[in-house]
Amino acid sequence: MRIGLEVHVQLPTRSKLFCSCSTSAEEPNSSICPTCLGFPGSRPAINRKALEMAVQIARFLQCRIAPEIWFSRKTYFYPDLPKHFQITQYDSPVGVDGHFMVEGKSIGIWRVHVEEDPGRIKRVGRSGEEVSLIDYNRSGIPLVEIVTAPDLSSPDEARIFLTELLVELRHIIGTSAGDEQSVRADANISMGEERVEVKNVQGLRNLERALKFEANRQQRMLESGMKVVRETRRFDEERKVTLSAREKEFEEDYGYIGEPDLGVYDLTRFASSMPEIETPLRRAQRMSAHYVVDYEKARQIVLTSMALADLFEAIAKRVDPEVAMNWTLGPISNNWSQLLPRLTEQVVEDVVTVVQQVVDRQITDSEGRRRIGAIAVGECAQDVSCAVEDALLDSIISQYLDEHPQVLKDYASNPRSANSVIGHVMKVAQGKYNSQEVVEAVRKEIERRKG
Amino acid sequence: MSRFPCPDKLLKLNQRFKIFTELAEDLSFLQEYPPRTHFSAKDNLCAVGFQARAGSRILEGYRPPFDATAIWRMRQEGAALLGKTNMDEFGFGTFCTNSGYDIPRNPFDEERACGGSSGGAAAATSLLEGHVALGVSTGGSISCPASFCGVIGLTPTYGRISRHGLIDYANSLDKIGLLVRDPLALRKWLPVISGPDPKDPTSCVQPALVTSGRRVERVAVPKEATENLSSGVESQFARSLASLQEEHGILVEEVSMPSLRFALSAYYVLATSEASTNLARYCGMRFGVRNLDISQHFNDFFAETRSANFGTEAKRRILLGTYARMVGFRDRYYMKALAVRQLVIAEYKKMFQDFDLVLTPTMPFIAPHFAEIERMRPLEAYQADFLTVPPNLAGLPHLSLPCGYSDSMPVGMQLVAPHWEERLLLDIADRWTSKFKMRFPEVSA
Repeated sequence: MRIGLEVHVQLPTRSKLFCSCSTSAEEPNSSICPTCLGFPGSRPAINRKALEMAVQIARFLQCRIAPEIWFSRKTYFYPDLPKHFQITQYDSPVGVDGHFMVEGKSIGIWRVHVEEDPGRIKRVGRSGEEVSLIDYNRSGIPLVEIVTAPDLSSPDEARIFLTELLVELRHIIGTSAGDEQSVRADANISMGEERVEVKNVQGLRNLERALKFEANRQQRMLESGMKVVRETRRFDEERKVTLSAREKEFEEDYGYIGEPDLGVYDLTRFASSMPEIETPLRRAQRMSAHYVVDYEKARQIVLTSMALADLFEAIAKRVDPEVAMNWTLGPISNNWSQLLPRLTEQVVEDVVTVVQQVVDRQITDSEGRRRIGAIAVGECAQDVSCAVEDALLDSIISQYLDEHPQVLKDYASNPRSANSVIGHVMKVAQGKYNSQEVVEAVRKEIERRKG
Repeated sequence: MSRFPCPDKLLKLNQRFKIFTELAEDLSFLQEYPPRTHFSAKDNLCAVGFQARAGSRILEGYRPPFDATAIWRMRQEGAALLGKTNMDEFGFGTFCTNSGYDIPRNPFDEERACGGSSGGAAAATSLLEGHVALGVSTGGSISCPASFCGVIGLTPTYGRISRHGLIDYANSLDKIGLLVRDPLALRKWLPVISGPDPKDPTSCVQPALVTSGRRVERVAVPKEATENLSSGVESQFARSLASLQEEHGILVEEVSMPSLRFALSAYYVLATSEASTNLARYCGMRFGVRNLDISQHFNDFFAETRSANFGTEAKRRILLGTYARMVGFRDRYYMKALAVRQLVIAEYKKMFQDFDLVLTPTMPFIAPHFAEIERMRPLEAYQADFLTVPPNLAGLPHLSLPCGYSDSMPVGMQLVAPHWEERLLLDIADRWTSKFKMRFPEVSA
């Protein structure tokens, strides 16, 4: 099975691609002007920020960046497209010939280009009396289109590809971009010779459904000896099926010509002055390799937050990375929502110090945990000493072991004898300590007495 | 004509000559003292307070919410907008007979055409003393009517004047310019409407306009441009060449510019290609005419609106342009035309190494009678543009000056300058009109 995707992601610029209208209006048709409505006499002026983002994306995807780009007119008639041509890029995409790694497999990226979004059509009213309403707020919002080679070999892989891509894009161009529900894609899918294009599928979940349905449909057709015809289909979100939109005997003719109102833009200086951005998943790979830690755990850290990854790396520089990983995914992650907003250099240093102290056995694990909790709520770690409570836990254990010497004797042959101590502590302390903490404390005390 | 036409007289003049598609509601400024410059704008320029229909029925009722930059700058400078002038629909024509509204009449002879596509602008200038008309040229739409109506027509370098607010014909060719009687008006108003405008990025790469510092000394006359002229134009042009040499001390030399022959074909491919995309937006939604049942399928609605409201020439150019852009034809026509354009530019540049200006007649004949135009086939009409198209294709500034009269009708000559060197055109306009006696029609309303 071969699947290729054309992914459309809105770029989170504040104004539209060719006019100064805001991109964040709520009320329908409240953010429109002569330019994004295609009024006669209006003309486009480029939003450089959008170009910058597109170059960043193309660079991230290892594309060759075009030294110069220009725009083209793609002509077709549809009510949501005010000029009846879309200003897009045809013969000078921002980037070509890139790739993106997904689970160790390289997916080819044919091209990355910038274009304007059309308006949005909404159908309202009862069936049979439906009315189409058009909201032009979306008209002119910058899009980046990423076209992959047909390298994806299953709907599953396509979903993973897109999920991972969006994680990275969100980091490169801003948090609001690449929402999993708002991403739009056209998918080309082929089980045999002829390919079928499923157009304009919105959202990650629908894309996977559409691909699965289409794969099944083609599979069944081929099995029963029928031929798959080359056509464009659309995905019906309600019924979760793809439906034939039109048969495609020849390529649609959009009559591309250059857009004379926009000039030629030099990208070379632009691209070379841009800093290289380390995206979350690339960082997870680097951390995994550099600190020799599990990739999945590294991934979990970066997906929580790049700031958490910063913290992990600060700790891993001072203590065994495996220990750093456990503390990062354990106590630090548990307190992350409170910790994140107060993350300063000093706070990072405090957290690192706590872990360091635990490793150096200056304080116990539970003391360490407690201190991190304290830091998270803005209290100084040293002020909230938990030594008293730790001492209390230790004394309960000691007392029990003193009273039941048999436990220590049995322990050598049957480590389960420690369970009676643990049970006693849990009962006496009534949930004051968590079981892991207690198990650890009991084990330590028994070892100490034996040693 | 008095310098300040009284409103009544203006209305009567307009009834007779069909110059304006719309006049200002309040014309009292015509009687103000001190007098304000009254100017008109071709109907494809947007102005608040007026419809902007570009001579097309499909834009009936469209009132733009903004001023074109050129109009805004004129108004800022105190000029009063008298009205919108008649034109060929979207600029598609050589005689101003393709207007969706009335057909303007030549002030020298009402049975003859004004020339196109800025016909109303040229006729208004010819009829109203002190008038300044904003025209637009894509392939000669300022030069041609200026020549037929006996006025001065200046088309500046492509990108000199912001096109913000100009209803597009072919964006890579469209240029706003001025039609006047007196070269002093060029010196006054060209600097006002020139200059960068962020609303039109193609205007933002221009060097500053300089109006002095160079004098015209040598002009080239391509021999390709003196073929196929009517005898009247031929003799008046020859007399003008003699006058330039003898009275003005300008060296005139015949040269050869073989690429000029290909300019016309390249122009019509590029212009119609761009036009066919520009006209796609007119469909009866959002602005302009809407007189159909909107419950139809959008395709039917669009097709019916466009069929009913575009004129024949607009439809012809949409078809031509769509064809030239199609897969399989794009390389053969559109891409090749782009290459030819570069060739034409290169040939002019070479010429400007030795000459200040390139000089030709403006039109191969005087303003034709309407009856003659009706007999012309579309291709013959296109061919009439063979002298005005080359500088337009190359984006070069050019000027049409009245240079003689044949059958009592004006003859024009066209001077082409290097990119951004409008000052050479201002120089020649001053010098030529100091010796040449321009005639204006005596018309009573």
